[in-house]
Amino acid sequence: MRNVAIPAIGYTPVFVSKRKDVNIAEMVNEAVDAALRNAEMTMDDIDSITFGNMQTFEGLNLPHLWAADSVYALDKPMMRISTGGTTGMSTLQAAYYQVASGMYDVVMAVTWEKQSEGDSQVGLAGIVMPEAMLMVQHGMDLMGGKGMGFGGGGSTGAASYQAMSYLHHSGASPEHIDKMAALERSNAALNPYAHLRKKTTVEDVQATPMIAFPLRFGHTCPTSDGATVAIVVSEDVVKKRFDNVAWIKGLGSATSDPTTANFLEGQLTDPAEQEPARIAANTAYKMAGITDPGKEIDMCEMYNGFAHQSLMWLEKTGICKEGEAHKMLDAGELNIDGRMPTNASGGVFSTNAIGASAMNRPAECALQIMRKIEGGHQIPKPIHNALAHGWGGMFQYVTVMVLGDEPRKL
Amino acid sequence: MVGPERAVADLVVPLDYTYNYRVGQYLEKYIQELGNKKIMAVKCPKCDKVAVPPREICGTCRAKMDEWVEVGPDGTVENFTIAHVWLNKGAVEKIDEPKVIAMVMLNGATVPLAAWLEADPSSVKKGMRVKAVFKDPAEDALTDLSHFEPV
Amino acid sequence: MDRKVAIVAARQLNAADSKMPRERLLFELVKGLFDEKGITRHDIDTYVLCSNDFQAGHTISNVFEDDPVGAFMKDETKVEADGIWAATYALQRILCGKYDTALVVGNSQGGSVFRPYLMMDYTMSPVYDRQLGIINELSSAALQAKALLDAYGYSEDVFDQIAARSLSNAAMNPDAFNGKKGTTADMVARSAYLYEPLKEMHCYPMSDGFCALLIASEEKAKSLSDNPVWIKGVGDSIDSYYAERDVVKPNSVKLAGERAYKMAGITAKDIDLAEVSAKFAHQEPIICEGLGLFAEGSAADVASKGLADIAGDMPVNPSGGALGAYAFSAGGMVRLAECYKQLTGTAGDIQVSGAKTAIAHGQDGLCMQHNGVMVVSTEEG
Repeated sequence: MRNVAIPAIGYTPVFVSKRKDVNIAEMVNEAVDAALRNAEMTMDDIDSITFGNMQTFEGLNLPHLWAADSVYALDKPMMRISTGGTTGMSTLQAAYYQVASGMYDVVMAVTWEKQSEGDSQVGLAGIVMPEAMLMVQHGMDLMGGKGMGFGGGGSTGAASYQAMSYLHHSGASPEHIDKMAALERSNAALNPYAHLRKKTTVEDVQATPMIAFPLRFGHTCPTSDGATVAIVVSEDVVKKRFDNVAWIKGLGSATSDPTTANFLEGQLTDPAEQEPARIAANTAYKMAGITDPGKEIDMCEMYNGFAHQSLMWLEKTGICKEGEAHKMLDAGELNIDGRMPTNASGGVFSTNAIGASAMNRPAECALQIMRKIEGGHQIPKPIHNALAHGWGGMFQYVTVMVLGDEPRKL
Repeated sequence: MVGPERAVADLVVPLDYTYNYRVGQYLEKYIQELGNKKIMAVKCPKCDKVAVPPREICGTCRAKMDEWVEVGPDGTVENFTIAHVWLNKGAVEKIDEPKVIAMVMLNGATVPLAAWLEADPSSVKKGMRVKAVFKDPAEDALTDLSHFEPV
Repeated sequence: MDRKVAIVAARQLNAADSKMPRERLLFELVKGLFDEKGITRHDIDTYVLCSNDFQAGHTISNVFEDDPVGAFMKDETKVEADGIWAATYALQRILCGKYDTALVVGNSQGGSVFRPYLMMDYTMSPVYDRQLGIINELSSAALQAKALLDAYGYSEDVFDQIAARSLSNAAMNPDAFNGKKGTTADMVARSAYLYEPLKEMHCYPMSDGFCALLIASEEKAKSLSDNPVWIKGVGDSIDSYYAERDVVKPNSVKLAGERAYKMAGITAKDIDLAEVSAKFAHQEPIICEGLGLFAEGSAADVASKGLADIAGDMPVNPSGGALGAYAFSAGGMVRLAECYKQLTGTAGDIQVSGAKTAIAHGQDGLCMQHNGVMVVSTEEG
């Protein structure tokens, strides 16, 4: 299985609530241009394109068809990937497999979302809308027990169950969630490509209203318009053209049951259990030759729609033991200049163009490894191995990628 | 072993979502100029494409098109179909009077435009000359270019 | 290709109305395949699902598909396009060496759950075509058909003949549901015009469709099957969304074919049969000529001489093709499943004799904007 690397990333110039100046196709084109520019490549160099976003947020079916011209796809192979919140990394993983398979040498992975054009809560609720309507018809009360998992702010209602369970099992307190939120928002303030860039204190977070205990508004991610494009190349292409790349050393994915207090299927697993994270991470570590992730991984980019999740994922991906993450937070280890910088970019928590969110995690890792971070959130220590994590579905999908400054040993 | 299954509920769920799309700068200008009874297109800097409706990228050349040019209002019917039905939210329904959809190559354009052609269906022929009819007063919408009719 | 990869099992279920929730049908389909092969879900290294949020009426359509197909706690992903791309992705995952077995499962319920024409409306530009309501799947198909008639001077009965052949074939195919025994071109001609020259009986039926393919690398393939169907090549290409593309001779079909033949080390002459996703009768010659299976502009000749018949020189859609059953996400996969039947000699009444190498085709978008093909063969090579 040949080695694969990322030589370049392209972002839209900003990630904001509403890009009023461009339509979807025009917006995605910006990130494609940026990626090609940063890679010093033209479309003649690109063998194939993978393309992903979450459809219902824009009400656009198979948008890669309408956007084909805008991503310069004519006469190229093209593949659309769509896996909910993990779409960004799944799309990048598809590009990885296309290159690793030997079929193509250079693949462009395009991910994006323009959530301002739709209603995100409706898009999210669309996961269970038919079931919800059926239950209502049979007398279920939407504000009752099951209903709260669905209502109460859409996915926040569901995430509150997860947060409660996590706090219970880990011994962390709601204040730790506040602290993580403040840390990541302050990180985002240094990142020109982040959406919410206001330096935030713990008091600022605690002043925001509760949505569903223990989650406050200050604990939730925004919805953003933006696009992220990655160029993915084979090791032969690296030898010929690039002297500074981020190698993809390992990747994995796993899926659990739809665990969000799903009406018809009930809950098989605790939403904080996240066994797929353990499985996916172990697959990625094994491929990457990492046996002690807590020591060998130098930074993490976790998919955290909600601030408690950064802590949870550190434990679930084996970076630290259960119950240890909040202690690392207290000790300053998760800071940008700490031992395990976590979400130096601000995470999904600060920027969430959902189709791109799971791509932004490995994109940020790649930029950190190559020391090409624009703005002030470049991690000072050298990054040899980085963990990128993606999450989605109905609290059930996890994708993991390990990137590094050297190719994996085959 | 599951026993025989029977349907206990049959549900039609109308999903009603509202989307607010940004048309982008190209269509914004296009719509504005329709209000002035002008059909605007863009030229590709690299090939001979003159695209209507206007858009940013020439897919063939991967170039940005930012040179504007007025096309039409007359054109030639390149292709057409006679509609005996319409699609009502995806359901096929018969219409009382057949209508004509034409692909019109406007004067100066190289990309044909799909449009309603108000003409006796039996008289429509490939190659016939047609002209644009605009809504008056303009409504600031794509439908300000209402339809075409024979010259 | 570095590794040899084969399809070792294929199952499909098509109906006008499957009358059951897809979770149930997916479970039955995949369980049936596992039982047939004497395997369990733990023998599957990776899952590539293929479904569509709009068709399913669910955001993240695979959320409720994972459990029924056995992907619980396993490696899984979802392609949202025609099933031929899901099969292609599964091939790529195995080729890279990380996986030895992949289960590809596609499904779509356009018959009982969601209107396909509305779903196709949503693929159009939201800021232009969808607003105007002039172009839709049927009107654009009609314009394509008309352009084809003009290009080669055919009369409309060429399309009637293609549809009649497809529907008659489908009648003999237990996996298709829309076939009608003894369909004649005359019967097709008498069906109602939708948008001229497109007639009712030229069009694919609203279908519920489910398809599962088990794909494996060489070692596993040989232990799982006595007659693996080897994947020799894939190709895909996309045309412009806009009206400047040639809908009569789409470049994307030609390029997809060339890429697949090149990978397979063959030419069009080596193809013994083709299963193509012609959603409308007129699309069949466009696809077949683009793939080099027939000479350009030969559709009238092909129809009158029966060259595309099951017993003809170049059998096309012995299954009945998309007119027999067509469910988007499963579309191209069902064409692959039909090729699998043919190459394993299990096609029954629609068997093409001596078939060794076949090509399966899938498409997406109005007037076939995006095309993908896969060449499969009994020959290991």
